[in-house]
Amino acid sequence: MRRHLLFVPLLLLPAGLGAQTIQNATLRRAQQAYDNLDYRQALALARTAQRERLNGFDRARDYELLAFTYSAMDSILKAVDAFKEVISLEPERELDPTRTSPKVLSAFQVALTQVLVVRQLRVDSTDFVGGQGAVGIRYTVTQPARVVTRIMGGAAPLKIDSAVANGQVNLRWQARLASGDPVPAGTYTVVVEAAVGQNNFSASQPIRVTHGAVDTLPHLISLPGYEYLPETEIPPKSWKPMGLALVYSGIALAGTSALSSGDLGSASFREAGVIGGGLMVAGFVVMLRKPAPQPARGNILYNRLLREQLTRRNAEIAQDNIRRRQQVALRVVALPRTGGVR
Amino acid sequence: MKAFFSLVAGLPTVLAAQHGSVGVQAAFGDYREVSSDLHYRGSGGGLTASFTFRKLGIEGSMVGVTYDPVAGSTATVSFKATQLDVRVRYLITGPVSAEVGFVNRKAKPEFEAQSMGAVRAGVRIAYPLGPGVQMGLRSGMLFGSKFSGGGTVSGIGALELGLSMAVDALRGRVRLTGDYDFQRVARTTGSGAAKADVPIQQALGRVGLAVAF
Repeated sequence: MRRHLLFVPLLLLPAGLGAQTIQNATLRRAQQAYDNLDYRQALALARTAQRERLNGFDRARDYELLAFTYSAMDSILKAVDAFKEVISLEPERELDPTRTSPKVLSAFQVALTQVLVVRQLRVDSTDFVGGQGAVGIRYTVTQPARVVTRIMGGAAPLKIDSAVANGQVNLRWQARLASGDPVPAGTYTVVVEAAVGQNNFSASQPIRVTHGAVDTLPHLISLPGYEYLPETEIPPKSWKPMGLALVYSGIALAGTSALSSGDLGSASFREAGVIGGGLMVAGFVVMLRKPAPQPARGNILYNRLLREQLTRRNAEIAQDNIRRRQQVALRVVALPRTGGVR
Repeated sequence: MKAFFSLVAGLPTVLAAQHGSVGVQAAFGDYREVSSDLHYRGSGGGLTASFTFRKLGIEGSMVGVTYDPVAGSTATVSFKATQLDVRVRYLITGPVSAEVGFVNRKAKPEFEAQSMGAVRAGVRIAYPLGPGVQMGLRSGMLFGSKFSGGGTVSGIGALELGLSMAVDALRGRVRLTGDYDFQRVARTTGSGAAKADVPIQQALGRVGLAVAF
């Protein structure tokens, strides 16, 4: 049963290692023996392969095969030692927890804590305005160690961080020189050096920094969510024109009557009647007509406020654009890595 | 030179603030003098002109009316009255304007009716009835009245009342006008026991067409 548990992940081992295949014939035979559950034969052949000339990949596979074989044979300490060699050769090596037995995973984890490596160094590719953003740098240190992170490649190395760290570390680099200016465009290398006593390890990640112009903001022609209101409104129809014409005509007629001299007989209302009648006709027509648009004071004030707000906002944008034209847009791109160096 | 450019630059504003009109009018009136027996009615025509600049306005009209005795009147001879009205107006507040001016009316033949002249002062209230429709009501007094046949008028004896309307047409280029003017002059002649009341009263209606600019 125990063998069966180990068998499944080991059969899938090549799939987890990508397209590269084992070159050494002895190691291939050792792998075949392991696949056939002949652990003693696998162990003997793996040890024999170690004495042969192996490339880096084959050497790492050889130690990994030894580790798995020792785990299958319940030699955990030896399995841990073998995994330590694997980690030293391939610090980024990961085992798939869904396909690997807990026993092997446990041995691998123990090995990780016993070797000083900086793993999973990642630099986020990002765009930001110089001085207003930062590049994310992450890595994992397997043991408590003094870790110094530097940027190499410029006129002088830039020290980003120096601290005693263990486990996952997250850093933010603002891509600025000591003077505060953005780093010049070019290719740099993020180097993370970890040291404990005599042990030390470094990992690196090349990056490319390019400069660009900062986008300026377009001027606004309207404020989102706000619209101008009509500055005139048509009032409802009213009797007022007719009423006023009637009142004015009535005053004229009454005035004529009141001012008339009694000695001259009753006043003539013909003239006042004609003009007053004409006025009432005009008032009646005006009353029937669609009223003329009247200024809508509230809307006018609202629009004025909106225009002032828009002007103020555009002035702010203009000021902001002046500042943006003096800024530099930085683009940091992580380049393919060549691997860690011990 | 700078002043000239300032004047030219400010010309559109000045032009926008001024309005004028010139027009012709048909007139019809009622004229009474001394008593109800001396009663005339007539018609005629005239000219009118007005000019407005900001708060200031001036208008003048010349009208000729041929008055004929009405039926039952003791008058037997017609006469022609030629009346000149001049009014200078200043907008005081809102619709209210103050008006000053003069009136001069000549009668021909001169002995058939009184010619008169007087200075006028009064108030005019104008109100827009609607788009392009204006109406006005005026009231005033005539001072310093002079008559061809002599006579005097007490301080508040000469009064006038007016009603006016103007309707714009053809986008304000043409203006249909209507004016009503009523004058009552409490004229007296003689003195002491010979003092006699010889009032004059005229109601004049005018309708016309004016070209605005």
